[in-house]
Amino acid sequence: MTRALLILLLAAWLAGCASPPPSAPRELRLAAAPEATLREAMQLLMARGYVIRHADDELGRLDAALARMPGYGVSLRVSPGAEGSSRVEAIATRGGRALPPGLLDPFLTDLQARLGLLP
Amino acid sequence: MRAWLLWLLPGVLAGCQMTPTTLPVAEPAPSAECRWPAGPGDDLARVITALEAEGFVVRHTDASLGLVSADRARTTIYHDNGVERLPRIGGFVRGGSGGHVGTGVVLGFGGGAGPGIDEATRAERVSVVVDEQALRVTRDIRLIDWRGDLRESRSASDADFCRDLRRAIQAAPAGEVT
Repeated sequence: MTRALLILLLAAWLAGCASPPPSAPRELRLAAAPEATLREAMQLLMARGYVIRHADDELGRLDAALARMPGYGVSLRVSPGAEGSSRVEAIATRGGRALPPGLLDPFLTDLQARLGLLP
Repeated sequence: MRAWLLWLLPGVLAGCQMTPTTLPVAEPAPSAECRWPAGPGDDLARVITALEAEGFVVRHTDASLGLVSADRARTTIYHDNGVERLPRIGGFVRGGSGGHVGTGVVLGFGGGAGPGIDEATRAERVSVVVDEQALRVTRDIRLIDWRGDLRESRSASDADFCRDLRRAIQAAPAGEVT
C-alpha cells in the first residue's frame, strides 16, 4: 500500500517537473508601421530594464535580454502587413526556454497603448 | 496513513513550477538618470565615440532606430570563491588501555581559509538608444568565474553609471559625421 502510494507520488512529482510544451509565439496585428512598432517596443523594454542586444529595422527583428538569473529574453519579429499595418510575433524565454505566451500580453497591451491604438 | 506525504506533494509541485506569471522586469528599475533629453549634436556617432572611449566594444548598431549595443569585459577578483561559509567542527575520540581505560573527546574548531580569491570575468552589456527627444541607457553585469560558470547576473542601470556615460557623451566631439 505504502509502496503504491510512493509510486503514485513519484509519478505526480515527475509530471510536475515535466517542462511545459514549447509554446508558439504570441501574434498580434497592429495598425502601425513596423518601424514605429519597433521603436516603441525598444523603449518599453528599456524602461523595464532590458538591454537591447540586437534590433534591425529592415529585418524587423528585436532581441532584448534581462540579466536576472537564469537569464530572460524577449524576441520580436515584426513584418509589414497590408496598408501600413504590421504583424508582430513575440516570444519570451527563460534560460533559453520559451515561456507561456500569455506572459507577454501586458507588454503587448502597453505597446498598443504607446502606439495610440487603444481607445 | 502517510498523510504528511500528500501534504508534501503540493509543496514539491510548487517548487518544480518555476515559471513566472508576469514578464520579469529589472529590480530595481532603471534609474531616472538613465534617460535624459537629447541636446544639440547628440547623435549615434557621438554615443559610439563616447562608449569606445569608456572601453566598450560596439557589437551592434542600427542607425535608423538609433541603437548602439556594446560590451565591456575585464578581469576582476572574485572574493566569494573557496571561502567556507560555515566553520568546520571536527573531533576524534581516543581510548587508552593498560590498567586504566579512559576516553576523551577533543573538539577542533577551524575555518577554511584557502586561497579564497580567484580571477573572474566581469562582463557588462550596454544598450543606448538616441532619438530626437532623448537618450536612454540600460546596462547589465554578469560575473563569470574561471570555470566559465555564471556566478552573478544582474541588471545595473544605475545612476552612477548613467551619469558617467552622460558626461562622456557630452565630452565627446559632436558632429563628426554629417
